[in-house]
Amino acid sequence: MIADDATLTRLAGLAQQGDKAAYAALLGAARHWLSRYYRRRVMPDQLDDLVQESLLSVHRKLASYDPSRPFAPWLAAIARYRFVDHLRLVYRRAEDELDNDLQAGNSDEPAIVARISLERLFEALPAAQQQAIELVKISGLSISEASASTGQSESLIKVNIHRGIKRLAALVERG
Amino acid sequence: MPDATENLIAGLVDNLKPVVPLRKRAGMILAVLALTAGALGMIGLVGMRADLRSGQPDPMALIAAGLFLVLALASFWAVVDMARPYVGVRREGWGWTALMAGVLPVAAIVLLGMNWLHGQPMPLELDGWNCLRFGLGWGLLSAAVQVWWLRRGAPSRPERAGLLVGVGAGAAGIFAVSLYCPHSDLVHIGVWHGLTVIVAGLLGRIAVPRLIAW
Repeated sequence: MIADDATLTRLAGLAQQGDKAAYAALLGAARHWLSRYYRRRVMPDQLDDLVQESLLSVHRKLASYDPSRPFAPWLAAIARYRFVDHLRLVYRRAEDELDNDLQAGNSDEPAIVARISLERLFEALPAAQQQAIELVKISGLSISEASASTGQSESLIKVNIHRGIKRLAALVERG
Repeated sequence: MPDATENLIAGLVDNLKPVVPLRKRAGMILAVLALTAGALGMIGLVGMRADLRSGQPDPMALIAAGLFLVLALASFWAVVDMARPYVGVRREGWGWTALMAGVLPVAAIVLLGMNWLHGQPMPLELDGWNCLRFGLGWGLLSAAVQVWWLRRGAPSRPERAGLLVGVGAGAAGIFAVSLYCPHSDLVHIGVWHGLTVIVAGLLGRIAVPRLIAW
């Protein structure tokens, strides 16, 4: 069961004063909240890692919580930062692999982006960007295959992937 | 059997130490101290404008210095608050202040353009380069304090925080320079002093995010 925000706010204030029992209860509740938050955003195999990273951030940044304010928006900001950081890593890896693929002509790259739950975010992308990401990053087609399939030039496919993933990250960052 | 997350929580609870919450007032005091140290350092090093010394300040120079001072304080306020992340909090006051200070460079450019159109181009004195250099240099003190404060906190928008650190530091630095700079004309102040804030903002946007990542 997840405690209400007034309880969490009180527990967080006590935790800042060094109350270990309150801190244990706070982290337990935060764990549940974070699991729910990330479950809709990442694949199950990434869930625990993100929850644990966020709990570590809560621990390291406890002083940045203002006990006169509600706890939930602070935890939400921590969770969002960790999620955006996670997306940035995925984006960087995807971009590196895309570059490697173009240099090596290798079409068998793992579709990293396909591992993220993007369905709802995808709706905000222009059709050409959606198509490029789906074909190359999720279906695993090479740039040239995606180009032949869509009629977009190879450089346009690359640009659409780059812009699409960047836009997804920005959408998530805006919350 | 406890899972990895439960073990992590147990470890974190064991390691819990009391912490002092970041107070906005403390952050502002530090930032203002850095600004004051920069201004005093500048005066100590090269002295003060003659009109300020004599107690008869030039109105244009006084207004410009005041605008940069207010911009620095508004940026500090936003940066200090950014160390404490909250979803849903809007910090836009600094933007209006920046727009207000932005009138100076815009007016300078308009003046330069109008004079050029009327066949009377105004020379842009290159000694303004020194204002830019000294402004950036003295601004470093404010930048260092703000970065240190942000590293203690948890800024959730590092790029925005970096930009604001730069704007605040540039405005603080050029405020310090304004106490010495003998120029009182709109073109010099708008172009060189305004440029200092813009350059500092860009540098902050580029350099600071990696320093405050967590």
